[in-house]
Amino acid sequence: MTRGFKLDPRTKLIVVLCISTLGIVAKDIFDLLIVLTLSILVAKFFKVDIIRSFKKTKRLLYMLAIIAIIQSIFSSEGEAFLSIGNFTVLSTLGLEKGLQFIMRMMIIIFSATIITTSNSREIVQGFVQWGLPYDIAFMVALGIRFLPLLTEEIKDSLTAIQLRGIEINNIPIRERVSVYSYLFTPILAGVLLKAEKLSIAMEVRGFRAYDNRTSYLVLKMSKWDYLIIFISIIFTICYIVFYFH
Amino acid sequence: MVQICCGDRTKMINPIEIRNLYFKYRGSPDYILKGVDLTVSKGEILALVGQSGSGKSTLLNIICGIIPHIRKGQIKGEVKLWGEEVKNFKIPDIAKRVGIVFQDPDTQLFSPTVEDEIAFGPENLMVERKVIEERIKKVLDIVHLEDYRYENPNNLSGGQKQLVAIAAILAMESDILLLDEALAQLDDQGKERIKETILSLKEEDKTIVLVEHDLENLNIADRVLELRDGKLREYKGW
Repeated sequence: MTRGFKLDPRTKLIVVLCISTLGIVAKDIFDLLIVLTLSILVAKFFKVDIIRSFKKTKRLLYMLAIIAIIQSIFSSEGEAFLSIGNFTVLSTLGLEKGLQFIMRMMIIIFSATIITTSNSREIVQGFVQWGLPYDIAFMVALGIRFLPLLTEEIKDSLTAIQLRGIEINNIPIRERVSVYSYLFTPILAGVLLKAEKLSIAMEVRGFRAYDNRTSYLVLKMSKWDYLIIFISIIFTICYIVFYFH
Repeated sequence: MVQICCGDRTKMINPIEIRNLYFKYRGSPDYILKGVDLTVSKGEILALVGQSGSGKSTLLNIICGIIPHIRKGQIKGEVKLWGEEVKNFKIPDIAKRVGIVFQDPDTQLFSPTVEDEIAFGPENLMVERKVIEERIKKVLDIVHLEDYRYENPNNLSGGQKQLVAIAAILAMESDILLLDEALAQLDDQGKERIKETILSLKEEDKTIVLVEHDLENLNIADRVLELRDGKLREYKGW
């Protein structure tokens, strides 16, 4: 197995930064739709599995939809869309703001998936070559690596509970909450123990043994990287200039 | 900062010397180690056996400084590496010359690829890139994981993960190698390859301490000691 053609993680970070900036700058729905389409196309270009990413962020999308509805309820300006007596529950402007919020978050989420096409070591090295101290970059990457570990711990504890005959999905909500509260302590203890063991494993392998360290991985930008960075930055600047003109 | 001595002095001084070691974990009423005396010479393979909970892993943790630096407890007696007290060193300083492989591979691997995992130790020890490349190739050949070089260790089987953990420590080329039931998850072929490697390390004058439950793995040891009732004694079978 060999590593095929790959773009530098720094290039991806710059692209993500540009798209996210556009997502924040753009204000009306039509512009946001263009930026969202652009972010999906760019993610596709970087060979991101969009459907898989969409499934992964599905739960988050539900939450975003709820936040958007709440936001639209509290923005009562514009034409009333749904009202109870004199109180406007949903207005056209409220709905528009809610939609804008969802689209902005989707732009950020889809553009962020571009970074996931590089592994954590490459991203760490990218930051290090930008001048960030290795310790800090590595700790951030390790923190991100720790999230699935936490999910795994929760899943293991839930499976253990189910194997003891408790159908977690078929019990009343109040009992379900009490089961989750029982799980909290062992999950927290398990995660802390794993974190301690990981830190020991790092230290016994000489982490911070010297003030500096060598790096086996050295990133080199290709002409494609420079070209993509150039296009991204120029496009972002032009878009912003024309947008505010 | 105290430096672990090197050069001519190491020829005369034993790599590991423990005198009258007592240890009990914080909150525990009884001592788990009660007057352990141990000397391991250069180029020796020592096997430690004993019932579960007899303190074998604790002893290894004391040798490599995890106790008392990270895990706390009450410790009495002398533990010396090349004639210098272990408590005077920081763990990363000990790691320059002592490598340890633990029982559970899941909590030893944190890199996104097997290659990165192996390179992590030598990178910390300021080994040159070219030499790291050579070491990666060498250890991957030893553990037969050449085809998995760019795989995520999390996607490997338990045995393969353990091989990666062993390879990561072998790449550091430590003078003392501590293996805490590191062969437990390996298949017969894997065990044989690691045992051959341990024997070749002995030829290079490296010191190896094995903690083992599987009696079949004891055939490579120069000496087998049993830890029972907190003391080390000659092993005469279970």
